[in-house]
Amino acid sequence: MKISIYNKLSILSDAAKYDVSCSSSGVEEQKKYGGIGATENSGICHTFTSDGRCVSLLKVLFTNFCIYDCAYCINRASNDRKRVAFSPRELADLTINFYKRNYIEGLFLSSGIIENEDRTMELLINALKILRYEYRFDGYIHLKLIPGASKELIEVACTLASRVSSNIELPSSKGLKLLAPQKTKNQLLEPLKQARDITLEKSSKPIPMSTQMIVGATSDSDLDILKITSVLYDKALLKRVYYSAYVPVNEGKNLPILKNKMPPIQREHRLYQADWLLRFYGFSYTELFTNEIQHLDTEVDPKTFWALNNLHLFPVDVNKVSKEVLIRIPGIGIRGALKIIQARRYKTLSIDDLKQLKISIKRAKYFIISKGKYQKEVPMYKENIKQVLLAPKKIIQPTLFDENYSVFTGEL
Amino acid sequence: MTLVYDGTYEGFLTLVYEVYYTKLHVKKIQREKTEVLLFEEVFEVQTDTSKAQKVLSALKQKFSAKNFATITNVFLCDSKEFEKPLLDFIILGFKDKRNLNNINFPAILYMRNLEKELFRVVYRMYGFVRFKEIEDGTLYAKIETKYNVLYFLGKHFLNRLGDSDFIIHDIQREFAFVKYKNEIDIRHVSSFDEPEYSKDEEKFRNLWKTFFKSVAIEKRKNKKLQQQFVPLMYRTYMSEFEELNS
Repeated sequence: MKISIYNKLSILSDAAKYDVSCSSSGVEEQKKYGGIGATENSGICHTFTSDGRCVSLLKVLFTNFCIYDCAYCINRASNDRKRVAFSPRELADLTINFYKRNYIEGLFLSSGIIENEDRTMELLINALKILRYEYRFDGYIHLKLIPGASKELIEVACTLASRVSSNIELPSSKGLKLLAPQKTKNQLLEPLKQARDITLEKSSKPIPMSTQMIVGATSDSDLDILKITSVLYDKALLKRVYYSAYVPVNEGKNLPILKNKMPPIQREHRLYQADWLLRFYGFSYTELFTNEIQHLDTEVDPKTFWALNNLHLFPVDVNKVSKEVLIRIPGIGIRGALKIIQARRYKTLSIDDLKQLKISIKRAKYFIISKGKYQKEVPMYKENIKQVLLAPKKIIQPTLFDENYSVFTGEL
Repeated sequence: MTLVYDGTYEGFLTLVYEVYYTKLHVKKIQREKTEVLLFEEVFEVQTDTSKAQKVLSALKQKFSAKNFATITNVFLCDSKEFEKPLLDFIILGFKDKRNLNNINFPAILYMRNLEKELFRVVYRMYGFVRFKEIEDGTLYAKIETKYNVLYFLGKHFLNRLGDSDFIIHDIQREFAFVKYKNEIDIRHVSSFDEPEYSKDEEKFRNLWKTFFKSVAIEKRKNKKLQQQFVPLMYRTYMSEFEELNS
């Protein structure tokens, strides 16, 4: 029976959607194949789905056939599902036609394991070869490496793809044993190590890589998760780690029961924020936790969480402290810090000046001194500050003044 | 007093000239004379190429390339009343070019923010432009944008569409960026007929809609977040927001 391309696309994109990575950023622009396509260092989002996630790449599985039976996975062998596969040609045509119409930045290709690892990897490589050599496609291609595929195939894949990845899936070996007994942590990390070594032999920069961990399917703490993350960053193995709130798609005795049957989205969000602190704000994961506290606070962002646990370091004087300290103030980001540094060269900044610069002081005001002054309304204790930060927002009626103001400042 | 000019770049440069040489005290700047302005002094600027030229060369001489670009970029934000802050920006820059980095001046901050906003629109449109394939293989996109970003889009797609011919058509401003063989041009388009699309066009558009629907995770549905990222005004020509018809 012939299955229509609509059905295939619908099944194989549906099956790939739990993979959260969709970034097309971080690849230096270069034209290697000389046809259609280019990459943008900052990445481009082409649309956003009804759950608010960026769509940058045509994210599909090559096939949802799979010989493995991982408890959390919708495509596990024991699930009774319709199984389909693209042909390499079909997939290449789809990619190039989507690309031409500016629907996507490129392809994100992953796959279930059909027959065996090497056979699967070969099929993926064939699709990439059509795109690169026949269509001379220079856009972004993210390829999921198949753990267990031969080194030679991984090498070919690394030369064709813009970025490769392999999912760690679960933060600890213990969790893997429980939910994916056929996989081990080393086995999952192996293709990443191979890819790094192969590309390092050829150039000074390894091919950009990423991974994904499922959050909330096992009992691992936020500390456990961020510890693995920073080890992976430190070893320069990875460029990004993604976190995916566990969405129950199967039933099984080892799988957790979720509160309200909703995935832990807020926890996932806090982990991403913490990840940001590790990568751009000079934090180390140990700073974020104490012996007693091994989870981030879902109520406040991790930087505020850290500041509240380290109130002895505050308040700081915005007119004096370095950029490194400024960016550690809750509510002040890198851009805000740069604006402060630029503006304070000309005058000593007051709270009103900060507002004028459009720096959000909602959280920051409890952690700063400006012109020798500290806010008086709230005593500087952890509980008091946290309480006001969590207070329900007042509803502010727009006034004529606001309207004029917004025209002037260019914000809607 | 209130200044009225014709809304062109040259007109604005002439306005700058008049402000300096006639020593006008400017309260407000308008592009067109609207209703009768009671109790207000009005000065109508007559666009003058040689005056504009003088101001232009002074700007190029006194302002760094980056700050000069800020002036022309802000001018593309044609749905905003940017004239007064732009004039202040120019006056501050002529006085002392170091002023231009002092974001404590409201006009400087306004200009910096507006330029950033322009690039946000440009950047969003890099992703949101949708081409359709015409019978002869030319890719054709219609756009409607808050600011005039046609030039930036044209440049972006020249780099990525390889040898393909393409047209980006700004419906409201009635201009089109055209790349045809070796010709590259921005043209005025006053009227046009809907082109005949290629035979595969509908198929791929429907495949795209299929994909768009099936990658969303129902359990994480968040329309508000979606709208924050793709505000309604961007959706007019985005095929995935049309109804599915296959």
